[in-house]
Amino acid sequence: MNAIACDIDAWNAPHRPRLLRGVRPQPRAKVNPRKDIAPASGVRHAELIAAVSERADRDAFAELFEHFAPRVKSYMLRLGAAPEAAEELAQEALLTVWRKAASFDPSRAAASTWIFTIARNLHIDALRRTRPPPAEDPADTPAGPATPDALVAAGQDEARLRQAIATLSHEQAEVIRLSFYADQPHAEIAVALGLPLGTVKSRLRLAMGRLRTLLGDQA
Amino acid sequence: MSPTQHPAEATLVDYAAGTCDAGRTLVIAAHVAACPACRQAVRLAEAVGGVLLGDLEPTPMGAGALDAVLARLDDPLRPDPRPPAQRPDWIAVPPPVLEAARRRKRWAAPGVWVAPITRGPGRRSSYLLRVGAGMAMPRHTHQGVETILVLKGAYEDRGVLYGPGDLAENDETVDHRPQVTREGECVCLVNAEAPLTPLDWVGRLFQPFVGI
Repeated sequence: MNAIACDIDAWNAPHRPRLLRGVRPQPRAKVNPRKDIAPASGVRHAELIAAVSERADRDAFAELFEHFAPRVKSYMLRLGAAPEAAEELAQEALLTVWRKAASFDPSRAAASTWIFTIARNLHIDALRRTRPPPAEDPADTPAGPATPDALVAAGQDEARLRQAIATLSHEQAEVIRLSFYADQPHAEIAVALGLPLGTVKSRLRLAMGRLRTLLGDQA
Repeated sequence: MSPTQHPAEATLVDYAAGTCDAGRTLVIAAHVAACPACRQAVRLAEAVGGVLLGDLEPTPMGAGALDAVLARLDDPLRPDPRPPAQRPDWIAVPPPVLEAARRRKRWAAPGVWVAPITRGPGRRSSYLLRVGAGMAMPRHTHQGVETILVLKGAYEDRGVLYGPGDLAENDETVDHRPQVTREGECVCLVNAEAPLTPLDWVGRLFQPFVGI
């Protein structure tokens, strides 16, 4: 009952993340094919980060760790890290989640996006010592306490993006997946798919454009 | 003014995914910092990365990993050693890059200096390149991808004007002779997968000295 009430609140929330503003619910869109991830996982993760931020809640942290650390480790392995380094970077990423929880801003990014960028930045740090500070590093600004509405909205946005990805053609979804998590440059992805490099790149461009359209993110 | 020449979408996805090497990441980050449109594109790609992260097959963490991290939660934070950025009329570049320019720049030809930033892996390198007002580069092409960002000034290449914040990606299909505008010097941040390939005798003559 609680969860349903939250969902309704989310649609009325005044403060919708820019990424997904203007997106309508898509009742007939394909259902999330992954059975093991509840649609509300994004809301749950955002709430856990808020609990870490506001109450230094170790149980909440442990739950985040159990979910994300093994996946961040997989990501690091696919980026070419050795197993020990991947383990260490995954631990470091979750430690950063703990330390920077106060700067998590659900109106800017979903929980999964925020943790993904933390992991990626650690990987880039590991590649070199002098990472350029991004112009807008969401990890460095305290965000203030998140409202429950904002936490739910962040989770909803993630769910809608997930739905949008599920509506891509198999070819488009595949090229996106490979670009992120295949540990090979586009040239090798092209070879793997038996396609010219230009086709891979234009397919990726079309796929991102399609997501943008689905999300109403035309700005 | 926002930049008008942008990286390919595939490049922005690579950047967001963390699959670019360090030198290329440096150049693209400086463009993205100056470009609202590309920041938006990167943000979408990061959100996609987050969603797909949830779909990755988990790799079990080592025994006791959670306890090890829990034990470290209360460690004091080390202060960030990075000094605050100082960059008056330049596109955002991390201080170490400007420092490299100050310490390592060497005049390679009249009006031209090069300041190496990173070398390798392999034949890759990144560097700052300064070319004087009105000068043209010798005609050349590339092996692999060259990613070049204007930090200061402007140059013209095959009918397109590249000003501060503009980024170009040049590969072996390009045969060009970029020319700096008359208004003043042009400083670029460059990452190349291989040294450029001169296509005329001037370039062949100078390349050993220039080292790019």
